[in-house]
Amino acid sequence: MYLLAELFPLVRQVRLPINRDRAMLMLLALMQMGMAVEAYAGHQISGTIVPNERTPVVFGALAALTLVLSGVLARRHHMTAALLATITFLASIAVGLLGVYFHLRRVVLPAAPAGQLFSLHRLIWAPPFVAPLMFALIGVLGLSAVWRESPPDSGVLMLPGARRLFMPLSKTRALFLWVGLAFLATVVSSVLDHARANFINPWLWAPTLVGTFAAGVTLVMGFLERPSRSELWVYLIAQVLMLVIGPIGALLHLQTNLTAGGGQWVLERLLRGAPVLAPLLFSNMGLLGLLVLLDPAD
Amino acid sequence: MAETGPPFRSVRLLLLGGATVLLVLGMALMAMAIGRAAIPAERARVNVLARSDNACAQCHRDNSPGITEQYGHSTMAVAAVTCQDCHEVPEAYPGSVEHEGTYVLQSPSTARCETCHQVQVAQFNASRHGLPAYVAMTGVGMLTADQLTQYESIPEGGFSPDKSRNALYELEGPAITRFACEPCHNVGSPHPDGSTGQCQKCHLRHEFSLEQARKPETCNACHIGPDHPQWEIYQESPHGIAYATGGATWNWEAEPGTLDVTDMPAATCATCHISGFGAAPTSHDVGDRLTWYLFAPISERRPDWEVNLSQMQAVCAQCHNAAFVNELYTAADAATEAVNAWVVESNQIMAPLQDNQLLTAAPFDEPIDFAYFNLWHHWGRTAKFGAWMQGPDYVQWHGAYEILHDLAELRALAAEKLGE
Repeated sequence: MYLLAELFPLVRQVRLPINRDRAMLMLLALMQMGMAVEAYAGHQISGTIVPNERTPVVFGALAALTLVLSGVLARRHHMTAALLATITFLASIAVGLLGVYFHLRRVVLPAAPAGQLFSLHRLIWAPPFVAPLMFALIGVLGLSAVWRESPPDSGVLMLPGARRLFMPLSKTRALFLWVGLAFLATVVSSVLDHARANFINPWLWAPTLVGTFAAGVTLVMGFLERPSRSELWVYLIAQVLMLVIGPIGALLHLQTNLTAGGGQWVLERLLRGAPVLAPLLFSNMGLLGLLVLLDPAD
Repeated sequence: MAETGPPFRSVRLLLLGGATVLLVLGMALMAMAIGRAAIPAERARVNVLARSDNACAQCHRDNSPGITEQYGHSTMAVAAVTCQDCHEVPEAYPGSVEHEGTYVLQSPSTARCETCHQVQVAQFNASRHGLPAYVAMTGVGMLTADQLTQYESIPEGGFSPDKSRNALYELEGPAITRFACEPCHNVGSPHPDGSTGQCQKCHLRHEFSLEQARKPETCNACHIGPDHPQWEIYQESPHGIAYATGGATWNWEAEPGTLDVTDMPAATCATCHISGFGAAPTSHDVGDRLTWYLFAPISERRPDWEVNLSQMQAVCAQCHNAAFVNELYTAADAATEAVNAWVVESNQIMAPLQDNQLLTAAPFDEPIDFAYFNLWHHWGRTAKFGAWMQGPDYVQWHGAYEILHDLAELRALAAEKLGE
């Protein structure tokens, strides 16, 4: 079901150069590179990137390149490209989950006295455990996009050797759920980060409200068999809000760092202060959410 | 009724239910985090090694429990840095000792700290707290060729006009200097593995607490007494008064690199000299923001002093307007030049005695040696530090007044030796 055409029937007359899956894969490749840069900046704050911390930096860059290569190969060698992308996304899931483990290790202290093993305070101040989860979510979204669904919205994926994999949900509904969970991870990460600043600045509530709204709306879309036009409008507005809140956040983070630095560019403030790139994750997610509305047919 | 759909379709409800659970959990976590914002930061101290099965922790819990207690509360222990990560080395490692079937460094060298803190160690190595601190005590004779090159590349290493402190070190002997000079000057001592310095002089083992490293009492361990009374001057200064009266409420554990006036509304040693504050980035080079070699008998401008000045003034600008800061700098420059002129005068008094070999070859063996040394090393430096750090009593009664007194004494002693 071409959901965007339900809202804007005229778009049926526009022939896009790439299909939904390809567009999503391109965006995910870009996000892998963005995650590599963000991981580099985040791990740089102690002044030294130790071996474990290099993994997401190197992997993110390599994954982006591999996905681009896979995109190039896709026209003539579809199966090879799909396998290459599948391996990359599986690795992305592994890197993400490992990152979550390493970050959570700073929160849960197994040798601490019982009753003090975990605290919300440490969850807020420890390395952000949700950030690496993005690698895993990118991996899952990528796996959903790599394999062709035939017929569209059937939940039947075409595998090598003409085999078929029957999924419990259509690809569109699965994408709604995964994107919704990615929204949820994004907003939880943002709330934990902003809790450091005690939510004193009213602007800190903007991503909290927008992110929560978008996560709720997007997850609910995954529950709907056939969303109505009005429901699609609400969904579209939620995605646009996510798209807009990103650059606003990036500018506000930049402004905070500049103010703290006496109006001057201080690299340390950019690295260790409010993370300038992080709010753009909202925009990336919003864009992913919009892509789900594209025509599922090739 | 038999299912007619494709396999896995029945999992749909499970997936949707799972998504709901995650949504609710995420919302709950957000609510708790937002709710926490209304209450003060948690101060509970957690000993993360309380139930550790680490071999070092288990044994030292009985043998030196203070150390394990301290380390259990450190952020390094929270970050899963083990005792072995810093102490354990291969058998052939220079300076290692056998310990319970392993080889350890009793006091880990900066080479060990550098494993995780490369930038900080590099900054430290380029600073006056590195080799120059050690050489001020021992001279350069103890350095290897590499260390000598490193020493000479440091501004304070290239500018070392006075050797009399080495002479005092030799004169007093190890029975005294072990407790006198070394506890402070070893901050820059070389290690058998070739690295230099002791991070733990400022980052006291084994808690390595941000609060401890940032508080001026830590600097007080060495920067005190008649030759460099920065601690006393600070206490007398408006900054020190603000710290004494309000410091208990400051945010000493603020994340490095994010410090601003909301965390520390008045200056401490760390905020002016090394912390990332305002437009000045964090540095472990204590000379990075200084314009003069104030420690020298006759002070000169440092290399790149204009850059250093802009760094320091970026910190000042967090609280003071440019006119205030510029006026202070102009006045303190003039005070520095005035003290320089007195020290030049003391050199002129001593010159005929040196030219006519009327002084003994041995250092510090006659009253005139002490008067000449005290004039710049105690009172000259104190007056200069007092001017820059705004401690009036140290500029006047412990500084300028004492210089004038010693100049009069020097004149009298010199005239006596010259037979005038």
